[in-house]
Amino acid sequence: MKVLLGQIAAETKLFLRRKDDLFWTLAFPVFFMVLYGFIYGDQMWEDYGMRAIDFLLPGVLVMALTVTGIMATAIGFAEEREKGIYRRLSLTPLKRSILIIGQILHRYLVIVVQVILLLLIGILAFEVKIAGNYLLFWLILTFGAMCLLSIGFALTGLIRSARSATPISVSVFFILLFLGGIFIPTNILPVFLARFSNALPTTHLADALRAVIISGSGIGTIWKDLLIVGGWTLACLGLAIRFFRWE
Amino acid sequence: MSAVVIVKHLTKRYGQLVAVNDVSFSIEKGEIFGLLGPNGAGKTTTVEMIEGLRKPDSGSIEVCGIDALKEPSKIKEIIGVQLQTTTIYDQIRVREVVELFGGYYQKSLPTNQILEEVYLTDKKDSFVSTLSGGLKQRLAMALALVNDPEVLFLDEPTTGLDPQARRNSWSIVENLKGRGKTIILTTHYMEEAEQLCQRVGIIDQGRIIAMDTPGNLIANSGLESTVEFSCVPEEQDRMLQRLAGIGKISRQENNRFVVHTKEFSRALQELARVSSENDLNLKNITMREATLEDLFLSLTGEKLRD
Repeated sequence: MKVLLGQIAAETKLFLRRKDDLFWTLAFPVFFMVLYGFIYGDQMWEDYGMRAIDFLLPGVLVMALTVTGIMATAIGFAEEREKGIYRRLSLTPLKRSILIIGQILHRYLVIVVQVILLLLIGILAFEVKIAGNYLLFWLILTFGAMCLLSIGFALTGLIRSARSATPISVSVFFILLFLGGIFIPTNILPVFLARFSNALPTTHLADALRAVIISGSGIGTIWKDLLIVGGWTLACLGLAIRFFRWE
Repeated sequence: MSAVVIVKHLTKRYGQLVAVNDVSFSIEKGEIFGLLGPNGAGKTTTVEMIEGLRKPDSGSIEVCGIDALKEPSKIKEIIGVQLQTTTIYDQIRVREVVELFGGYYQKSLPTNQILEEVYLTDKKDSFVSTLSGGLKQRLAMALALVNDPEVLFLDEPTTGLDPQARRNSWSIVENLKGRGKTIILTTHYMEEAEQLCQRVGIIDQGRIIAMDTPGNLIANSGLESTVEFSCVPEEQDRMLQRLAGIGKISRQENNRFVVHTKEFSRALQELARVSSENDLNLKNITMREATLEDLFLSLTGEKLRD
């Protein structure tokens, strides 16, 4: 337990010192949120019967999760692996499971900070209200965090070198965001893309978040979304374990 | 004396290539044992099997009475390893990374003590990313020492270092030797092995081809040392007559002569005695004792090979 806490502390300390990580996980989503907020914030999107910002906030939350869960995880892991850090650690009694759990908990911690930050900006600057249950809201985010982290770790097995880590994870990032109903509502997509979009975990995460934040829906409405996100998590976890590479 | 590391019939294959071929040796407590060999000879593969990084195809390894193949996690607690190149996180301070590693072990030494041992005390607040190659190697040594290991593995610890940094590393190893640490060192610098190791094993193409103290290896090798000197032409005949008992003397250009001998120190003493008794005027004396490097080259072949 002490080792695990030490590991989380070390990961967090390293994170705070890496300017690119700080930029992508904290500054970038906040910048996005504020920019969109000032441009479209109070516009009423009549088609949806909601303000633009109410549509966007859940999307930016999912984007923040994706940055941390996929980009930071896959790129960071591929780099540390290529440097031989895991090889050096394998000579110590540190268990690999502790190393991975430490990374996951550290990322979850980052996600918690991201969400609180974005939520505060939404509430204070743009008068966003969470209509539904806060616990349910966190449950969705936690499901989302685990899902995107498992995609991130699955990618590390498929990525050969640190050089290819960035283009691969950025591509996945864009597919998940643009086809996942984060910035573009999925109902304007052509049919074949809409079908594809409907299979993505980010689509269901955003849907579930919007349902809880805007409509105040309960678990009865969103359980199908959570099921699909959970399915992705298990599938990617399987892939991650199957293709995991330490060196 | 008791053996701390016992390796028996260790073999490792990569496809057709037998990287390590039936290697056996044992290392006593407090001994510094050097594994020497050309690049690709199998020395790193051998130590990495003892460290638990690679699985041997056959053979047995025992460290402090523990079967390293059956209980690798117990072995990790009691060994320290400096890899050929150790990379660790960049954005971390020297002190922090030593503390982090200390936390991985059931018992660990105080950070200050370790940093003092590797002369890094004044760098304790520096970020790893700012350290020079020599300092990074010393940090790697610190990380290997963090658990006060029973056996310390140093894999080519000074490869690529400048002469100062190399002397620094040697002095750290000398201090550890003084404290009775058992050390396994791989190197292809013969000077390093002669300086540090009580016993060396020379490994070539996966096999150990010689194993003894550096002194014995050279003495038993039949390699010749040489003493060279100048002698004015009018004294040459007298000199050659008087010195005939020392060894084979060959004539070079410019009135230079070379004595070839397998018993270097006896030949030197004789030369000094005979020349002073006979008032021989020998000038510009230079000598060259056979070194571990000569032996190494004679055993592993001087030609480059693939």
